[in-house]
Amino acid sequence: MTNPDELRDEQLVELCRQGERHYFDVLVRRYMEKAFRIAFDFTRNTETAKDLSQDAFLRAFANINQFDGRSSFYTWFYRIVVNLCLDHARRQHRVGWESLDRITEEPGERKELADSTFAPDQQAIASEAQRRVDQTLETMPNKQRTAFLLRNHQGLSIADVAKVMKTTEGTVRVYLHRAVAALRQSLLELV
Amino acid sequence: MKTPMPLQSACKEFEEDLVLYYYGETSEEERRRVGQHLSGCLRCQGFLGDLQRLLPQMARTEELPQSFWDNYYRETVAKLAQQDERKHWWRALIPSIKIWMVPAFGTVAMAVLVIGLLFGKGNLSSFTVRPTEKIPHEILADENQLQFFESMDLLESLGKLEAQDEQKPEAVNTQSSRVKLQSGIA
Repeated sequence: MTNPDELRDEQLVELCRQGERHYFDVLVRRYMEKAFRIAFDFTRNTETAKDLSQDAFLRAFANINQFDGRSSFYTWFYRIVVNLCLDHARRQHRVGWESLDRITEEPGERKELADSTFAPDQQAIASEAQRRVDQTLETMPNKQRTAFLLRNHQGLSIADVAKVMKTTEGTVRVYLHRAVAALRQSLLELV
Repeated sequence: MKTPMPLQSACKEFEEDLVLYYYGETSEEERRRVGQHLSGCLRCQGFLGDLQRLLPQMARTEELPQSFWDNYYRETVAKLAQQDERKHWWRALIPSIKIWMVPAFGTVAMAVLVIGLLFGKGNLSSFTVRPTEKIPHEILADENQLQFFESMDLLESLGKLEAQDEQKPEAVNTQSSRVKLQSGIA
Protein backbone atom coordinates (compact mmCIF):
# COMPACT_ATOMS: atom_id res chain seq x y z
CA MET A 1 0.00 0.00 0.00
CA THR A 2 1.43 3.38 -1.07
CA ASN A 3 1.93 6.00 1.57
CA PRO A 4 -0.69 8.74 0.86
CA ASP A 5 1.95 11.42 1.47
CA GLU A 6 3.87 10.10 -1.52
CA LEU A 7 0.94 10.41 -3.91
CA ARG A 8 0.85 13.28 -6.37
CA ASP A 9 -1.82 15.95 -6.04
CA GLU A 10 -3.71 14.69 -9.08
CA GLN A 11 -3.77 11.13 -7.71
CA LEU A 12 -5.14 12.37 -4.40
CA VAL A 13 -7.80 14.41 -6.20
CA GLU A 14 -8.84 11.36 -8.20
CA LEU A 15 -9.17 9.28 -5.04
CA CYS A 16 -11.29 12.04 -3.46
CA ARG A 17 -13.55 11.99 -6.49
CA GLN A 18 -14.03 8.28 -6.00
CA GLY A 19 -15.38 8.99 -2.52
CA GLU A 20 -12.21 8.51 -0.51
CA ARG A 21 -12.61 11.72 1.42
CA HIS A 22 -9.74 11.14 3.85
CA TYR A 23 -7.25 11.57 1.00
CA PHE A 24 -8.17 15.23 0.93
CA ASP A 25 -6.64 15.50 4.41
CA VAL A 26 -3.26 14.91 2.78
CA LEU A 27 -3.86 17.89 0.50
CA VAL A 28 -4.80 19.97 3.55
CA ARG A 29 -1.56 19.03 5.26
CA ARG A 30 0.39 19.75 2.09
CA TYR A 31 -1.07 23.19 1.37
CA MET A 32 -2.32 24.57 4.68
CA GLU A 33 0.74 26.68 5.32
CA LYS A 34 0.80 28.20 1.84
CA ALA A 35 -2.94 28.83 1.90
CA PHE A 36 -2.66 30.54 5.26
CA ARG A 37 0.33 32.64 4.14
CA ILE A 38 -1.49 33.88 1.03
CA ALA A 39 -4.54 34.80 3.08
CA PHE A 40 -2.33 36.50 5.67
CA ASP A 41 -0.52 38.52 2.98
CA PHE A 42 -3.89 39.81 1.84
CA THR A 43 -5.57 40.36 5.19
CA ARG A 44 -2.69 40.97 7.66
CA ASN A 45 -4.82 39.31 10.30
CA THR A 46 -4.12 35.84 11.70
CA GLU A 47 -7.70 34.86 12.56
CA THR A 48 -9.15 36.12 9.28
CA ALA A 49 -6.38 34.42 7.32
CA LYS A 50 -7.10 31.18 9.16
CA ASP A 51 -10.85 31.38 8.46
CA LEU A 52 -10.40 32.29 4.79
CA SER A 53 -7.81 29.62 4.08
CA GLN A 54 -9.89 26.95 5.84
CA ASP A 55 -12.91 28.09 3.87
CA ALA A 56 -10.83 27.67 0.71
CA PHE A 57 -10.21 24.02 1.61
CA LEU A 58 -13.94 23.48 2.19
CA ARG A 59 -14.78 25.01 -1.18
CA ALA A 60 -12.07 23.09 -2.96
CA PHE A 61 -13.39 19.84 -1.53
CA ALA A 62 -17.01 20.70 -2.29
CA ASN A 63 -16.06 21.49 -5.91
CA ILE A 64 -13.47 18.79 -6.40
CA ASN A 65 -15.45 17.39 -9.34
CA GLN A 66 -15.08 20.71 -11.14
CA PHE A 67 -11.29 20.45 -11.13
CA ASP A 68 -10.65 19.44 -14.73
CA GLY A 69 -6.94 18.73 -14.43
CA ARG A 70 -5.98 21.18 -17.17
CA SER A 71 -3.96 23.14 -14.61
CA SER A 72 -2.18 21.81 -11.58
CA PHE A 73 -4.14 21.36 -8.38
CA TYR A 74 -2.24 24.07 -6.53
CA THR A 75 -2.86 26.79 -9.15
CA TRP A 76 -6.56 25.84 -9.08
CA PHE A 77 -6.55 25.89 -5.28
CA TYR A 78 -4.55 29.15 -5.04
CA ARG A 79 -7.14 30.76 -7.27
CA ILE A 80 -9.84 29.78 -4.79
CA VAL A 81 -7.80 31.25 -1.92
CA VAL A 82 -7.08 34.49 -3.79
CA ASN A 83 -10.71 34.91 -4.85
CA LEU A 84 -11.88 34.43 -1.27
CA CYS A 85 -9.35 37.00 -0.07
CA LEU A 86 -10.39 39.53 -2.72
CA ASP A 87 -14.09 38.93 -1.97
CA HIS A 88 -13.36 39.45 1.69
CA ALA A 89 -11.48 42.67 0.95
CA ARG A 90 -14.36 43.92 -1.20
CA ARG A 91 -16.88 43.16 1.54
CA GLN A 92 -14.83 44.63 4.30
CA HIS A 93 -13.25 47.34 2.18
CA ARG A 94 -10.62 48.25 4.67
CA VAL A 95 -11.22 45.83 7.49
CA GLY A 96 -8.50 43.51 6.27
CA TRP A 97 -6.01 46.28 6.66
CA GLU A 98 -7.35 48.11 9.63
CA SER A 99 -5.05 46.09 11.83
CA LEU A 100 -2.16 48.20 10.57
CA ASP A 101 -2.41 50.40 13.64
CA ARG A 102 -2.56 47.35 15.84
CA ILE A 103 0.50 45.96 14.10
CA THR A 104 2.34 49.19 14.80
CA GLU A 105 1.41 48.80 18.44
CA GLU A 106 2.45 45.15 18.45
CA PRO A 107 5.99 45.19 17.11
CA GLY A 108 6.28 41.40 17.26
CA GLU A 109 3.58 40.95 14.63
CA ARG A 110 5.42 42.43 11.67
CA LYS A 111 8.88 43.87 11.78
CA GLU A 112 10.57 42.54 8.68
CA LEU A 113 12.00 45.84 7.58
CA ALA A 114 12.86 46.87 11.12
CA ASP A 115 15.99 45.34 12.59
CA SER A 116 17.04 45.31 16.22
CA THR A 117 20.66 45.92 15.16
CA PHE A 118 19.72 49.43 13.96
CA ALA A 119 20.23 52.51 16.01
CA PRO A 120 16.90 53.93 17.31
CA ASP A 121 16.66 56.51 14.50
CA GLN A 122 17.30 53.81 11.90
CA GLN A 123 14.67 51.61 13.52
CA ALA A 124 12.20 54.47 13.29
CA ILE A 125 12.95 54.85 9.59
CA ALA A 126 12.61 51.10 9.08
CA SER A 127 9.23 51.08 10.87
CA GLU A 128 8.09 53.95 8.72
CA ALA A 129 9.33 52.09 5.61
CA GLN A 130 7.32 49.05 6.68
CA ARG A 131 4.23 51.15 7.29
CA ARG A 132 4.56 52.68 3.82
CA VAL A 133 5.02 49.30 2.18
CA ASP A 134 1.86 48.02 3.89
CA GLN A 135 -0.03 51.16 2.99
CA THR A 136 1.09 50.97 -0.64
CA LEU A 137 0.04 47.34 -0.88
CA GLU A 138 -3.29 48.26 0.66
CA THR A 139 -4.05 50.95 -1.91
CA MET A 140 -2.61 49.04 -4.86
CA PRO A 141 -5.07 47.71 -7.47
CA ASN A 142 -6.07 44.12 -6.65
CA LYS A 143 -4.46 42.63 -9.74
CA GLN A 144 -1.11 44.27 -9.11
CA ARG A 145 -1.21 43.27 -5.47
CA THR A 146 -2.16 39.68 -6.31
CA ALA A 147 0.64 39.38 -8.88
CA PHE A 148 3.18 40.87 -6.48
CA LEU A 149 2.15 38.79 -3.46
CA LEU A 150 2.03 35.53 -5.39
CA ARG A 151 5.41 36.12 -7.06
CA ASN A 152 7.30 37.88 -4.31
CA HIS A 153 5.78 36.38 -1.17
CA GLN A 154 4.71 32.93 -2.37
CA GLY A 155 7.47 32.37 -4.89
CA LEU A 156 5.16 31.28 -7.71
CA SER A 157 6.62 31.57 -11.19
CA ILE A 158 5.11 34.21 -13.48
CA ALA A 159 3.63 31.37 -15.54
CA ASP A 160 1.83 30.00 -12.48
CA VAL A 161 0.72 33.46 -11.35
CA ALA A 162 -0.78 33.89 -14.81
CA LYS A 163 -2.66 30.59 -14.42
CA VAL A 164 -3.96 31.56 -10.99
CA MET A 165 -5.07 34.95 -12.26
CA LYS A 166 -6.27 33.52 -15.58
CA THR A 167 -4.33 36.05 -17.59
CA THR A 168 -1.23 36.13 -19.78
CA GLU A 169 2.35 36.08 -18.58
CA GLY A 170 2.94 39.44 -20.27
CA THR A 171 0.14 40.99 -18.26
CA VAL A 172 1.56 39.56 -15.03
CA ARG A 173 4.99 41.03 -15.89
CA VAL A 174 3.37 44.44 -16.28
CA TYR A 175 1.47 44.08 -12.97
CA LEU A 176 4.64 42.99 -11.21
CA HIS A 177 6.68 45.87 -12.55
CA ARG A 178 3.98 48.39 -11.62
CA ALA A 179 3.72 46.96 -8.13
CA VAL A 180 7.48 47.18 -7.58
CA ALA A 181 7.50 50.70 -9.06
CA ALA A 182 4.73 51.77 -6.67
CA LEU A 183 6.54 50.28 -3.68
CA ARG A 184 9.76 51.97 -4.78
CA GLN A 185 7.97 55.28 -5.12
CA SER A 186 6.51 54.99 -1.63
CA LEU A 187 9.99 54.42 -0.24
CA LEU A 188 11.54 57.24 -2.25
CA GLU A 189 9.10 59.62 -0.59
CA LEU A 190 10.63 58.65 2.73
CA VAL A 191 13.77 60.73 2.00
CA MET B 1 19.31 44.73 5.78
CA LYS B 2 21.99 47.02 7.10
CA THR B 3 20.48 50.40 6.29
CA PRO B 4 16.86 51.17 5.49
CA MET B 5 17.74 53.30 2.46
CA PRO B 6 15.18 53.87 -0.27
CA LEU B 7 15.39 52.30 -3.70
CA GLN B 8 17.55 54.00 -6.30
CA SER B 9 16.37 54.92 -9.76
CA ALA B 10 17.26 52.73 -12.72
CA CYS B 11 17.51 53.52 -16.41
CA LYS B 12 13.90 53.79 -17.58
CA GLU B 13 14.23 51.30 -20.42
CA PHE B 14 15.77 48.67 -18.13
CA GLU B 15 13.58 49.08 -15.07
CA GLU B 16 11.00 46.40 -15.97
CA ASP B 17 13.72 44.05 -17.19
CA LEU B 18 15.60 44.47 -13.93
CA VAL B 19 12.52 43.47 -11.92
CA LEU B 20 12.17 40.34 -14.05
CA TYR B 21 15.94 39.79 -13.87
CA TYR B 22 15.73 39.87 -10.10
CA TYR B 23 12.95 37.25 -10.11
CA GLY B 24 14.83 35.12 -12.64
CA GLU B 25 12.00 35.48 -15.14
CA THR B 26 13.97 36.61 -18.19
CA SER B 27 14.93 34.59 -21.22
CA GLU B 28 18.58 33.74 -21.78
CA GLU B 29 18.89 36.48 -24.38
CA GLU B 30 17.30 39.12 -22.16
CA ARG B 31 19.49 38.02 -19.28
CA ARG B 32 22.61 38.54 -21.37
CA ARG B 33 21.45 41.94 -22.58
CA VAL B 34 20.59 43.13 -19.03
CA GLY B 35 23.85 41.68 -17.72
CA GLN B 36 25.85 43.63 -20.29
CA HIS B 37 24.08 46.83 -19.38
CA LEU B 38 24.52 46.22 -15.66
CA SER B 39 28.27 45.84 -15.99
CA GLY B 40 28.54 49.45 -17.13
CA CYS B 41 25.69 51.17 -15.26
CA LEU B 42 26.05 52.06 -11.60
CA ARG B 43 22.45 53.32 -11.31
CA CYS B 44 20.97 50.01 -12.45
CA GLN B 45 23.42 48.12 -10.23
CA GLY B 46 22.16 50.16 -7.28
CA PHE B 47 18.53 49.55 -8.27
CA LEU B 48 19.07 45.80 -8.53
CA GLY B 49 20.94 45.82 -5.22
CA ASP B 50 17.95 47.51 -3.57
CA LEU B 51 15.56 44.94 -5.01
CA GLN B 52 17.76 42.15 -3.71
CA ARG B 53 17.89 43.79 -0.31
CA LEU B 54 14.26 44.85 0.18
CA LEU B 55 11.95 42.47 -1.69
CA PRO B 56 12.89 39.33 0.28
CA GLN B 57 12.41 41.30 3.52
CA MET B 58 8.90 42.29 2.48
CA ALA B 59 8.06 38.63 1.97
CA ARG B 60 9.44 37.42 5.29
CA THR B 61 6.76 36.47 7.78
CA GLU B 62 6.82 35.48 11.38
CA GLU B 63 7.25 31.79 12.08
CA LEU B 64 4.22 30.28 13.78
CA PRO B 65 4.54 27.54 16.40
CA GLN B 66 3.86 23.91 15.49
CA SER B 67 0.85 23.91 17.85
CA PHE B 68 -0.81 26.51 15.59
CA TRP B 69 -0.48 24.21 12.58
CA ASP B 70 -1.63 21.17 14.54
CA ASN B 71 -4.78 23.04 15.59
CA TYR B 72 -5.25 24.39 12.09
CA TYR B 73 -5.09 20.92 10.59
CA ARG B 74 -7.43 19.41 13.20
CA GLU B 75 -9.99 22.18 12.76
CA THR B 76 -9.93 22.00 8.97
CA VAL B 77 -10.34 18.22 8.91
CA ALA B 78 -13.24 18.49 11.40
CA LYS B 79 -14.93 21.15 9.24
CA LEU B 80 -14.49 18.97 6.17
CA ALA B 81 -16.11 16.04 7.97
CA GLN B 82 -19.04 18.25 9.03
CA GLN B 83 -19.49 19.50 5.49
CA ASP B 84 -19.39 15.96 4.17
CA GLU B 85 -22.05 14.86 6.67
CA ARG B 86 -24.33 17.73 5.71
CA LYS B 87 -23.87 16.89 2.06
CA HIS B 88 -24.94 13.29 2.54
CA TRP B 89 -27.58 13.69 5.28
CA TRP B 90 -30.12 11.74 3.22
CA ARG B 91 -27.95 8.63 3.37
CA ALA B 92 -28.67 8.42 7.10
CA LEU B 93 -32.36 8.01 6.30
CA ILE B 94 -31.92 5.06 3.97
CA PRO B 95 -31.38 2.33 6.63
CA SER B 96 -34.58 3.38 8.47
CA ILE B 97 -36.75 3.03 5.35
CA LYS B 98 -38.43 -0.44 5.19
CA ILE B 99 -39.54 -2.15 2.00
CA TRP B 100 -43.24 -2.02 2.94
CA MET B 101 -42.99 1.77 3.29
CA VAL B 102 -42.43 2.27 -0.44
CA PRO B 103 -45.95 1.23 -1.67
CA ALA B 104 -47.48 2.92 1.39
CA PHE B 105 -45.81 6.24 0.53
CA GLY B 106 -46.86 5.77 -3.10
CA THR B 107 -50.53 5.24 -2.14
CA VAL B 108 -50.51 8.30 0.11
CA ALA B 109 -48.95 10.41 -2.63
CA MET B 110 -51.59 9.27 -5.13
CA ALA B 111 -54.39 10.00 -2.66
CA VAL B 112 -53.07 13.51 -2.06
CA LEU B 113 -52.87 14.07 -5.81
CA VAL B 114 -56.45 12.88 -6.45
CA ILE B 115 -57.87 14.95 -3.57
CA GLY B 116 -55.97 17.95 -4.79
CA LEU B 117 -57.37 17.59 -8.31
CA LEU B 118 -60.95 17.05 -7.08
CA PHE B 119 -61.04 20.02 -4.75
CA GLY B 120 -58.88 22.21 -6.88
CA LYS B 121 -60.96 21.69 -10.05
CA GLY B 122 -63.55 24.34 -9.29
CA ASN B 123 -60.95 26.90 -8.47
CA LEU B 124 -58.91 26.24 -11.55
CA SER B 125 -61.25 28.13 -13.86
CA SER B 126 -60.92 31.27 -11.78
CA PHE B 127 -57.22 31.31 -12.65
CA THR B 128 -57.60 30.52 -16.33
CA VAL B 129 -60.77 32.42 -17.44
CA ARG B 130 -60.12 36.05 -17.90
CA PRO B 131 -62.83 38.21 -16.31
CA THR B 132 -64.85 40.33 -18.76
CA GLU B 133 -63.83 43.92 -18.82
CA LYS B 134 -66.43 46.30 -17.41
CA ILE B 135 -67.01 49.59 -19.18
CA PRO B 136 -66.97 52.46 -16.71
CA HIS B 137 -70.28 54.20 -16.02
CA GLU B 138 -68.89 57.55 -17.13
CA ILE B 139 -68.21 56.29 -20.64
CA LEU B 140 -71.67 54.69 -20.95
CA ALA B 141 -73.30 57.93 -19.80
CA ASP B 142 -71.32 59.95 -22.34
CA GLU B 143 -72.38 57.61 -25.12
CA ASN B 144 -76.11 58.09 -24.27
CA GLN B 145 -75.65 61.86 -24.12
CA LEU B 146 -73.99 61.87 -27.52
CA GLN B 147 -76.96 60.12 -29.15
CA PHE B 148 -79.32 62.50 -27.38
CA PHE B 149 -77.46 65.58 -28.63
CA GLU B 150 -77.35 64.22 -32.19
CA SER B 151 -81.18 63.85 -32.05
CA MET B 152 -81.45 67.36 -30.62
CA ASP B 153 -79.54 68.82 -33.59
CA LEU B 154 -81.89 67.17 -36.06
CA LEU B 155 -84.99 68.39 -34.15
CA GLU B 156 -83.66 71.94 -34.18
CA SER B 157 -83.01 71.64 -37.91
CA LEU B 158 -86.56 70.33 -38.32
CA GLY B 159 -87.96 73.51 -36.69
CA LYS B 160 -85.94 75.70 -39.04
CA LEU B 161 -87.06 73.73 -42.07
CA GLU B 162 -90.69 74.11 -40.99
CA ALA B 163 -90.16 77.86 -40.73
CA GLN B 164 -88.75 77.87 -44.26
CA ASP B 165 -91.71 75.84 -45.44
CA GLU B 166 -94.06 78.48 -44.10
CA GLN B 167 -92.21 81.14 -46.13
CA LYS B 168 -92.14 78.94 -49.29
CA PRO B 169 -95.43 77.03 -49.57
CA GLU B 170 -94.15 74.43 -52.06
CA ALA B 171 -95.53 71.42 -50.34
CA VAL B 172 -93.71 68.92 -52.46
CA ASN B 173 -90.19 70.19 -51.51
CA THR B 174 -91.01 70.52 -47.81
CA GLN B 175 -92.54 67.11 -47.78
CA SER B 176 -89.44 65.61 -49.31
CA SER B 177 -87.21 67.46 -46.76
CA ARG B 178 -89.25 66.13 -43.86
CA VAL B 179 -89.01 62.64 -45.18
CA LYS B 180 -85.21 63.01 -45.39
CA LEU B 181 -84.97 64.40 -41.84
CA GLN B 182 -87.21 61.76 -40.34
CA SER B 183 -85.23 59.05 -42.04
CA GLY B 184 -82.10 60.75 -40.54
CA ILE B 185 -83.60 60.63 -37.01
CA ALA B 186 -84.66 57.08 -37.46
